Amino acid sequence: MGTREVITHSPEETITFGRTLAETLAPPKLVLLRGELGAGKTTLVKGIAEGFHAAREEDVTSPTFTLVHEYRGPQVTVYHIDLYRVDTARELETLGLDDLLAHESLLLIEWGEKFPRLQLERDVEIALERMGESQRRILITGR
Amino acid sequence: MSSVHILGIESSCDETGAAVVRSGEQVVSNVVFSQIATHQPYGGVVPELASREHLRAIVPVVRKALADAGQSYQSLDALAVTQGPGLAGALLVGISYAKALGFALDKPLIAVNHLEGHIHAVLLEERQKGHHEVGFPVLALVVSGGHTHLYLAEQKGQGWSYQNVGHTRDDAAGEAFDKVAKLLGLGYPGGPIIDRLSTHGDSDKVKFPPLQIKHRDRKDRDQPQEERPRFDFSYSGIKTAALRYVETHKMQEHIEARRKALAAIVRPKLEDHVRLCDRDTLDLVASFQRAMVEDLVSKTLAAARAYDVATLFVTGGVAANNELRQRFERDAAMEGLPVFFPSRSLSTDNAAMIAAAAYPKFLAGDFAPADFSAEAGLALKEA
Repeated sequence: MGTREVITHSPEETITFGRTLAETLAPPKLVLLRGELGAGKTTLVKGIAEGFHAAREEDVTSPTFTLVHEYRGPQVTVYHIDLYRVDTARELETLGLDDLLAHESLLLIEWGEKFPRLQLERDVEIALERMGESQRRILITGR
Repeated sequence: MSSVHILGIESSCDETGAAVVRSGEQVVSNVVFSQIATHQPYGGVVPELASREHLRAIVPVVRKALADAGQSYQSLDALAVTQGPGLAGALLVGISYAKALGFALDKPLIAVNHLEGHIHAVLLEERQKGHHEVGFPVLALVVSGGHTHLYLAEQKGQGWSYQNVGHTRDDAAGEAFDKVAKLLGLGYPGGPIIDRLSTHGDSDKVKFPPLQIKHRDRKDRDQPQEERPRFDFSYSGIKTAALRYVETHKMQEHIEARRKALAAIVRPKLEDHVRLCDRDTLDLVASFQRAMVEDLVSKTLAAARAYDVATLFVTGGVAANNELRQRFERDAAMEGLPVFFPSRSLSTDNAAMIAAAAYPKFLAGDFAPADFSAEAGLALKEA
């Protein structure tokens, strides 16, 4: 897969890009989503989940409070996970992410870069960077 | 029917609750063990801590609820427990305990949706005041750390039906309060801290852009468009706007100093917070809260007009916010719309609301099957 870079100019464009990105994310995959608060991580997940027909974009919401959101598509189950408030490796273990990573699963993990184990095990990393009010640079790195 | 005593159990997030409610209209006891002290150093709810703390708290909390109520296990008529939505591990503690207790006592068990519980907290509050007549339809805003939902609620026979007419597209309102408090180094939980600090700042000082949903609905989607109008919320943008303000006004150093100073105080009081906040921070806090309150109130009232509702309920943890209550009372009164809130102890997560929501299900014989389990993403279904 190597590395690719895309610039989007609006949340709509980020969602559209997420939909096409879904085609390159055949499960099982562990994907780390990087980017500061407001970089557009949840917005991108809206597009990816739609790409797998797992959820409508308006139904994809922040998992910060609930930690794991599950969207079941006909072929693929998309898990949107937020480790914003998980601080230690022991707490991470109790989330049972290993149990989620099945043949048909795509794990999209925010703030996963805090954990060396996840950095090591990740298949893809997607970094979102804010370049202006609504402009975003999206950098995708494969294995 | 003579009076019915239901024991409610709630463990969906960071409070372990048990309560006895009589016939869905009188709180006989209401015990809440909060894990906020446990979670404070982490700036949020940590799932493993939550489950472990629920395990530790549940037996003493239930015993105290029974003792406070002057009830015994045998004298109860039924048990009720939160099925979801919430943290799966936390929900399971309450459910496993309630199932075992129900089995041992041979009492019926009722599964309750947490969001339905919040709606019934308002009815419980009103019935306790002797107010039994509620005009239908009701529009209920359930607003907390994990939820920002608008439901049309109606009583149909003994049961209730709910229609979702709006929800957040990204962050819940309470999550925005928590995240902004965290980025300002104010600690957890963010809602009450921001609420109390906001009276010390100038709410007109910082202009936030209107909190509109940034991306439009597409017309070409697979599913047909719903016919009824929707009133969705979006609170991701205001969180980002607060972050930009902090960056452009070079507030980081001041924030870091405050974070350290507050962490060194065992139980920081309002005076400590005020003392550690400069004018800029206080104005930002006040302006942020004003923008949140105005958006919640104006969207809810727009939905109330569109659906021509007779009554407004505002419930959930954020319903304890002072400015939100005052603004709803003022603006709803201008439209001649009665608005009801639970008392503060029934606004945040509690088990009395679960026992109250279980009462109509008890009358209808709507009991949980033996194999029911936690549903972290449980939706409030339309009947």
